[in-house]
Order: sequence, then structure tokens, then C-alpha cells
Amino acid sequence: MLRQIKPRNARSKRALDKKAPKAIENPKTTLFLRGTTCSQIAQDALTDLYQLRIPLAKKFTKKNPIHPFDDATSLEFFSEKNDASLMVFGSTSKKRPHALTFVRTFGYKVLDMVELYLDPESFRTLAQFKNKKCAVGLKPMLLFAGTPFESPVSNEYTLLKSFFTDFFKGEPADKVDVEGLQYIVSISVRDTVDGEEVKPSVHLRVYLIRTKKSGQKLPRVEVEEMGPRMDFRVGRVKEADESIMKEALKRAKGTAERPKKNISTDIVGDKIGRIHLGRQDLKELQTRKMKGLKRSRDIADSEEEMMEEDDEISEDEPAKKTRKR
Amino acid sequence: MAETEKGPSRLPVVVNKPTPYTFDLGLLLASDPNPLLLTTPENLEDDLAATARDGAQALLNQLLSTCPIASTPNGVLLSLPGIETKLPREKPLPPPKAQTTWEKFAAKKGIKSKTAEERKKMQYDEATGEWVPKWGYKGANKKADEAWIVEVDEKKERERKEGTQVQGDGRRERKEKVRRNERLQRANERKQKKNHGGRRD
Repeated sequence: MLRQIKPRNARSKRALDKKAPKAIENPKTTLFLRGTTCSQIAQDALTDLYQLRIPLAKKFTKKNPIHPFDDATSLEFFSEKNDASLMVFGSTSKKRPHALTFVRTFGYKVLDMVELYLDPESFRTLAQFKNKKCAVGLKPMLLFAGTPFESPVSNEYTLLKSFFTDFFKGEPADKVDVEGLQYIVSISVRDTVDGEEVKPSVHLRVYLIRTKKSGQKLPRVEVEEMGPRMDFRVGRVKEADESIMKEALKRAKGTAERPKKNISTDIVGDKIGRIHLGRQDLKELQTRKMKGLKRSRDIADSEEEMMEEDDEISEDEPAKKTRKR
Repeated sequence: MAETEKGPSRLPVVVNKPTPYTFDLGLLLASDPNPLLLTTPENLEDDLAATARDGAQALLNQLLSTCPIASTPNGVLLSLPGIETKLPREKPLPPPKAQTTWEKFAAKKGIKSKTAEERKKMQYDEATGEWVPKWGYKGANKKADEAWIVEVDEKKERERKEGTQVQGDGRRERKEKVRRNERLQRANERKQKKNHGGRRD
């Protein structure tokens, strides 16, 4: 637990406000760190995931004697210190080779964890694919393929889906540039077969998207692998406590902003307002003037009557005033 | 380009799967609930690429066909819908703001802020079809004073002060209200001075 700091100047107050809980949250920061033993393969995997996650990521290079499933207090400390709610911890041991532990925190306390064992044979780094990479910080498209991800009861695969969605979500955007849809992260898993001991492995692939003209309105999509290529076996899992998860899934009331009525923007980018006028009175419409149709000619008599009425009122009023006194 | 211009060699853009995809366009996410088609272990990469291609095509089709597109000087922008997938927050919801002293007092007393209609000075008079002020010169609160005939209220007559008559009642009442309000205002100011020692808080 970090000491509670009372802001003494505007700068530290701003820094604290930035970290404070908000109704609409900041995008999650991911922290990448390694254990005391971490194979080169796991380190490369961490680097590549870090590359995909920039700029919402931090990477530590020092060794940390942490065993997330035994004691996660150090991770909670790092989470609070760095305001990071996603963590990827790489470690290697004889029993658990090339393990990447994905950790999510809620309020700086570990919410849930999944351990994934990287397959060293099929692993390819980002740099091993010799092609053009996409720009840094772009929002990826996501694809989850395979029936285990759709399981109605929560299991390690649905948890993984939630994890990877959180991981690749990036900054929330209500508008995206079509040019920015450059790559897709495809996470697929084959079906589980009954009676099989080994759980099917998860394939994480990242593809660049090439669009071709198809002669139709929609373009034809082709994919080209960008890397990294990772196959995971699912290891230990720590699921979230139900009550804490319920708390974490809460949404602020009325966060959905109501759209402003009658204001729109056209394709050029100009703001257009729509205003409502009453029904037009066509009687008042100025048409061509003709001497014979002049109003005064037939109203002349009624105006005299009006004058008389006015006189009566003006007589009344002074009389009242005198009475009040 | 040359390929597409030829009529028959149109590239297919439609993805057909036994179970349709589900999308969460706010996250640019597509879920393919179909079993993964894997032929042989050697062919794994091609199969995965084919699945990814189909998914990307379906997602892009969905994005381009359902989201409103606007072309701006900054590029062609797609407006995404809200996020449907439930993802956990990173920190608990902020506590609701504490009530101010005034808000507490108003809640206790049942004081509500005035509506836009109440704030207006003019009100519509149905009888004459005119807009008249609620108070002041020719105000609507003086209407009762102008009554031709007033019914005698026996009880009020008995309690009537010496030297007054029915005619000035409305005006007296209004004047008394103003004085009462000023009295309360002065009392509040005195109380505030006493509580805060004249400081601003």
C-alpha cells in the first residue's frame, strides 16, 4: 500500500486527479515485467506484445522475484505505483516453460489471472516477418474464432477472450479513420474433443489487411501476416471473485450522452442547425398593392368605435388611484 | 485494377458461414462461433490465415455497411456505435458527490428550483388573451382588488382592525409579505455573522 499523498501544489493535484477513479475511465495501461528466470523466447514475446500495445504500455527490464499465483502483492504494488491495470509477467521454469501470466487488476487489487505457456517451436517474433509494419498506436481489429470462446459458462477460453479484448482495445474511440483499419489480431482455438486430456492451444496471429477493388461497393480483403506468431497452451487460471467482478462491471449512471438535437455536420464539416418556425400566416403575406384594396377604406368606421373604448378606460384609471389613497 | 475491370472475374466479398458472425463494432471486434477448420498440422498457417481473412472481410463489410461514414479533411471517418461487451473497470466507480449545505437544507424543506415557466415574469391571461406581468404595474396579483362586488366574510370582519376596510386588504397583505421577507433576510444575515464570525467560507 502506498502512502496517501495530500496534494500540496497544483501539479501534484493534477497528477492525482489523473489517477483518481472516474466515471469514464482512462484507457488501461499495461505493464510488462519479467521474473528472475525468463527465457529469451518469453522475453521476445514480451517485447512484441509491448510493441503492439505502445503507447499504453510500460516495460520493465529488471528481474523481479515474483510468483503471481502464490503471492501477488508485488504486482499490486506495481499496479498502484504505475497506474497500470493490465500486467504481463514473463517467467520460465522447468515445470512451466516460457510462461506469460496475464494479470488484470481492479482498484489496484488482482482481479483475475491467466497463465499461458508459449510454444517455442512455432513462435515467431515481429522482426522475423520481413514486411512493412503498421503505424504505432493504431487500433487493431479483433477476431475471435472457434467455439470455445462462445461458451455460455465461463471457462479459461471466455476469460482469455475478455483478457485479449481488454489488451487490444486501446483507446476508446467513437470515430475511426478508415485508413487506420490496417491490421487484425486473430485469436483462434480449435474445438475441444471429449475425452481429450490436453486443452487445445490458442493461436494468436496478427495480419496486415490489404484491400483490393472488387468491382463492387465493398472491397475485397486479403491478409498478410505481420507477426508476432504465438501459440499458447493454457495453464493456471485464477478467476475473479464474483462479487468483485460484479462491482467491476458497474457502469456509471447516465454516462450515455444524449445526442444534441437539431445540430448536424454535413460532409464538408460545416455545422448545420435546424430551427423550427411557426406555421406561416399567409394572410399577412404582402402581395401586390392596389389602391382599391386598401385596408383603411373599409376599416375606417370600426376605428372610430375603438377610439371611444379607449377613452372609457382612461377615465377609469385615475378614479381608482384616488380611491386607494 | 486491370482484373477488376473485366466483368466476370469479380472478386467475392461475401462471407458465408453456417453460423453468422457476431460483432461488437465499438471495439472493432468480430466473433466467429464456427468450429475452426483445420485440415492438417502442416497446413495450419494457411487455415488460420483463411479464417482471419474471412473474419476481416466480414468485419469490414459490417463496418462499412452499418456505420455512418463521413469524409472530412482529416480522412474518411467511421462513426462507431457504443461498446456492448462488458469489460471490467480498472478502478471502482467514484463516490457520488456530497450534498452541499444548501442542497441538504432544500431537500429537508422540500424546496425545488423554479421551473423555466415560474421564472418568467409574464403570464398568459386566458380571459383577455393577453400577456400580463405576474406582479408589479398592472400585475396579475392585483386582480382581486379590482372586483366590483366582494362577499363579506363574517369571520374576517370580526377580526378586522380599526380604521381599515375591505378595499385595501390585498395591498396590505402584499406589503406585509414584503416586510416579513425583509425581516427574515435581516435575521439570516445576523445568524450568518454569528456563525461564521463575519468570515466568508
